[in-house]
Amino acid sequence: MSISRNKLYGIILTACFAGAVWAWLQSSNSMQANKGLNVCFLKNIFNIPCPSCGATRSLLLLINGQVAEALYLNPIGFIIATIIFIAPIWVLYDIVFKEKSFLMFYIKLESGIKKPGVAITLIVFILINWIWNIKKGI
Amino acid sequence: MDNQRVDMFILSNGKFFESHQVNMIRERLLAIDDSKWVIISTIQFKDPTTSLIVSILAGSLGIDRFLIGDSGLGVGKLLTCGGFGIWTIVDWFQIQKATREKNLEKIQQFLF
Repeated sequence: MSISRNKLYGIILTACFAGAVWAWLQSSNSMQANKGLNVCFLKNIFNIPCPSCGATRSLLLLINGQVAEALYLNPIGFIIATIIFIAPIWVLYDIVFKEKSFLMFYIKLESGIKKPGVAITLIVFILINWIWNIKKGI
Repeated sequence: MDNQRVDMFILSNGKFFESHQVNMIRERLLAIDDSKWVIISTIQFKDPTTSLIVSILAGSLGIDRFLIGDSGLGVGKLLTCGGFGIWTIVDWFQIQKATREKNLEKIQQFLF
């Protein structure tokens, strides 16, 4: 077994909480019509966006119901939205009922994306998204 | 396994493990059967220094986590710009330990 249940659940809950706080901060920042905080290393140092730059804005657009704009800004926002809404509920369910279904799912997923076919597809998707991000100049 | 072989193994591979684990590995190696020597001496370990370099250069894309075999966490890091930049910095200090733990997991399946 690669990762312990409690460690994984801790990471997931912390990450989702941090993500939610981050999205909330960004949304209140954009209300004040300034550009918001930018923490991306690649963007700050080399001035080129990383594959997931724009994901926060995409997530916020998605929450506001502007699906097409969110998809145009960054499709990764959809993946993050799925994780941030489903993972905490699943993890809390597991904690309450003392099960480990999420851990099993995570281990399955991890071995799944290690398969060459899946891995190459995902890498190509990320690279295309990256090039698209640079072209859009996010 | 005889003393000489074990010491040779520890000398050449000690840097791949946490210092407090080396003694345990040594004792286990002395206890196990000679026939496992061929397998154990040919295991390839991940170098903590390499993962540190990768972490500094490409940590915000999660490449360091992919490298040591934590694909799930790698994806998480990739999708969140390296955990909003914080996880990237944390991993500069944590990745060597994580690599050594991965190495221990790898050798453990042959030790017991």
